[in-house]
Amino acid sequence: MEKVTTTCPWCGCGCGLYLHVENNLITGVSPNRSHPVNHGTLCVKGWNCHEFVQHPDRLTTPIIKDGRATYRRASWEEALGVTAARLAEIRQQYGPDAIGILGSAKCTNEDNFVLMKFARAVIGTNNIDHCARLCHSSTVGGLAAAFGSGAMTNSIDEIRDARVIFVIGSNTTEQHPMIGMHMLEAKDRGAILIVADPRRTQIAQFSHLHMRHKSGTDVALLNAMMNVIITEGLVDLSFIRQRTENFDDFENRVKLYTPETAEQITSVPANDIRKAARIYASEKRSMLFYSMGITQHITGVDNVRSCANLVMLTAHIGQPMTGLNPLRGQNNVQGACDVGALPDVYSGYQKVADPAARKKFELAWSRPMPEKPGLTLTEMIDGIHEGKIRALYIMGENPVVSDPDAAHVKEALACLEFLAVQDIFLSDTAEYAHVILPATTFAEKDGTFTNTERRVQKIRKAVPPAGDSKPDYEIICNLSKLMGYPMDYRAAHEIMEEIALLTPSYGGILHHRLDANFGLQWPCFGMDHPGTPYLHRKKFTRGMGAFIPVEFIPPAEPTDSEYPYILTTGRSYFHYHTGTMCRRTVTLEREEPECTVEINPADAKRLEIRANEPVRLKSRRGSIEVKARVTGTVPEGIVFIPFHFREAAANLLTINAVDPNAKIPEFKVCAVAVEPVRRKPGTRQSPPLSYYEGMRIGLDLYIPPEEMLPKT
Amino acid sequence: MPAMYILNKNHLSFWLRKLKTTHQLIAPMRDVSGDIVLTELPRMHETALDGPALMPSPKEFLQPQMEQLFCYSREGIEEAINKQSRVLFGIRSCDLSAIRILDLFYLGKNKDVYYETRRARTVLVSIACNQPDPTCFCLGLGTGPFLKSGFDLQFTDLGDRFLVDAGSETGTALVEGFPHIFTEPTQSDKEDLYEARLASQSRFEKRVNLDQVHKRIKAGSVSDSFWESVAVRCFECGGCVYNCPVCTCFNVIDRPEAVDSGKRIRIWDTCMFKGFTRMAGGVVPAEAKIIRTKRWFHHKLVHWPAQFGTFGCVGCGRCAVSCPGKIDMATVALRIKGTDQMEEGR
Repeated sequence: MEKVTTTCPWCGCGCGLYLHVENNLITGVSPNRSHPVNHGTLCVKGWNCHEFVQHPDRLTTPIIKDGRATYRRASWEEALGVTAARLAEIRQQYGPDAIGILGSAKCTNEDNFVLMKFARAVIGTNNIDHCARLCHSSTVGGLAAAFGSGAMTNSIDEIRDARVIFVIGSNTTEQHPMIGMHMLEAKDRGAILIVADPRRTQIAQFSHLHMRHKSGTDVALLNAMMNVIITEGLVDLSFIRQRTENFDDFENRVKLYTPETAEQITSVPANDIRKAARIYASEKRSMLFYSMGITQHITGVDNVRSCANLVMLTAHIGQPMTGLNPLRGQNNVQGACDVGALPDVYSGYQKVADPAARKKFELAWSRPMPEKPGLTLTEMIDGIHEGKIRALYIMGENPVVSDPDAAHVKEALACLEFLAVQDIFLSDTAEYAHVILPATTFAEKDGTFTNTERRVQKIRKAVPPAGDSKPDYEIICNLSKLMGYPMDYRAAHEIMEEIALLTPSYGGILHHRLDANFGLQWPCFGMDHPGTPYLHRKKFTRGMGAFIPVEFIPPAEPTDSEYPYILTTGRSYFHYHTGTMCRRTVTLEREEPECTVEINPADAKRLEIRANEPVRLKSRRGSIEVKARVTGTVPEGIVFIPFHFREAAANLLTINAVDPNAKIPEFKVCAVAVEPVRRKPGTRQSPPLSYYEGMRIGLDLYIPPEEMLPKT
Repeated sequence: MPAMYILNKNHLSFWLRKLKTTHQLIAPMRDVSGDIVLTELPRMHETALDGPALMPSPKEFLQPQMEQLFCYSREGIEEAINKQSRVLFGIRSCDLSAIRILDLFYLGKNKDVYYETRRARTVLVSIACNQPDPTCFCLGLGTGPFLKSGFDLQFTDLGDRFLVDAGSETGTALVEGFPHIFTEPTQSDKEDLYEARLASQSRFEKRVNLDQVHKRIKAGSVSDSFWESVAVRCFECGGCVYNCPVCTCFNVIDRPEAVDSGKRIRIWDTCMFKGFTRMAGGVVPAEAKIIRTKRWFHHKLVHWPAQFGTFGCVGCGRCAVSCPGKIDMATVALRIKGTDQMEEGR
């Protein structure tokens, strides 16, 4: 038995763990005791992360789709040959900008960097994006404008020494359990915990003050808090004078938001807002955390700016145990952004529009770089409908389940001229693909993940790849070679070398430095740089911190008499995103085998819905049938659904209204109608299909093993 | 009276290397990240015996987290029984006590052939604890830090040498072939041993009396509101059960690989999960977290003693490390006892 130390593949905490390997089979997982994030603990997903790696459903050979629905296994030569030829053809016919590329926050930094290079140097387009668009693009944009750097400013290990912890729009104990653990520890050590969330989550149950504001009214709430801080003189004037700009404009705007006005908008009692503001502002060591509850709105960027204003107003930044801390949802969503899988920046957020940056990459890659920033993920889907995008290359993403307004996405993918999907399982998106390429999981390749606190950590190969699957970067390198641009990386660490060379903030991050002390936190400028535990120490990255006045804008789709409930979507503790991995993990799938909708007892009573009965949810875009979970977790007038379940996809209901700056869709608010589904007494519902059965029967995605195929 | 030997520390690697020729040698080793893990030892001099309790417990070598039971196909069933002979070197006294409790469960009335085969081929060499962790509380339970029986060999660190107790014939056989390194202990060695035992007992930071807790629970004086305050801190990670050297929950699942063939595997499971009690009709009797949390403590503190005459806890303190909500056995037991004293004080 061997134990391979690696990094957890689920959320952005980036816990350290061991994979237990015996005779090339993964037999278990155990936590790393000295890791600065998890200290010997793991959440339920971490404890079960070994199971999907060697699942029989893994893709083991490339698959080519002939005609409408016949799949056949193919060799790598053939599959890559077809892909290269089709991409070249489409580029020839419609120009490089007719091709869109999607990277993945589940893949390593190296994979995403190579894909980014493939898009820009080989295809010649900036149309590259990934699912950070759907979670934290508003953070990247909003904080870049305010501070100059869109990442968590402080470190996870500092949390337990904080005095005040303010969590807004984050279900921390369930979505970032190990960060939740640190918060609970801080609370045990005397810290005050304030939570702003419409739902009464576990972290809200721990809190000293829980503000249940209406979904989508974060700006009003934060502005009112700042109003209190200013009127009661709790601001740090010397900090504002020395390190920030544009305070006067901002002050004038915020003056309009008295706690009483905010009470009208948010339905949080004015006195609670005052209390929260006083507690947050009067302690020196106050940390502010936020997550999807802030970002996934049409006002996502505004929400983020408000948070930034709040920390600058009270000088809770640039010191340990303070800061503005966006919690990133996926294991490597920070890294995928850092290495430039975004349409407007190269690695290290060097702007595509900047001629100097373009020149640098042109010299390094000896190809002309496209000037115009590319399309975002949400724009690409619309672009397909408009005929701007003709082909998509998707690495490890599942937009059919993860993107808003699923029907719209499916229609788009169906009318593509060419779609290549590179994944570990046959996802719902792969159903629309012309070529499917098998990739390896985190346990079968080397590379690095960057967690939410900017810690670049290694993952290590523990077992040989399943079947003929290959690491993502290798697939792209081979494809690139066929398209006339050889990229000869012999191993992942050579790619990291190139990243370090071209990216100032990753300048000193090389694989051999990451073994000791669980990696390095960027910015790390050189080989002797020890990494940066907290940002903006004496100076903001952009120089002066910018106060940006923000006005409250209501959500895109208000409720009305026809659709009287607010639907908010999110994650469940036991599942993860589109469910391709966790729903193949027995323990996780058993905990929550089906989608449920959380509904307040008062609403349930009014609608005559009983617990565990099926209900139908309808929005202007679609309808789904799910089981009711009658609970006080949600307030009256709001219903909540997790989005992991393909058979009851919450995203059939969501609206694809986006933030004008970050193009992030409003997953958190849309209007729905709820009605009970009455079945005739005595007609028993057939048991729901298991995931595998659904995969095989419902979607016709089952591929018989080699020997059962008709001989040709 | 077990036979005793003295082994100079310099000779340990030599002996381990000899052991490795006949057995798979599992021993604690310092990993690249600085953690000490129980793994197959590649180089003998890398044994690290000074670390805290190993995570997960050595249970994983007798009941692996994921284990294949058999493959099935049209030809029939092919059982996958692990027949490797192993030495578990450097496990703790509490782990040994735990394995004896596992034996009660797996080798009782209904024998588990997979466990039995593994267990019969595993030699247990323990290290008595001179340096208990801050989380350890085996002293009050009699499951450590030094044992009188149950081991094949027990090593006690006496500074520059080990005092080795042989507790079984298997153990004696492993040392008898090397009379030149396993020598007779002198009177002063035995005095040093006595001193080491006393010193170790004084190093325990936690004193937990589970008997009192057991009595209080039996008397019904631990209220549901207390359990509610415990349950609210549960993160439902399952770490307490996965890491526990005594817990035995498992789940059996089939993994079809084709239409007519596949595997049956067994994986660790946790009574802390609500799916653990889900019935065929979809009803979950233990839906509320409080029921599940309470049940785990009750099982260990009330039901185990009734069934096997021993607590389902050996005081290894692993749950204290792996619980994100810090509602481990020692903390909860001390809180129950604390309420006791508070009420007596009134």
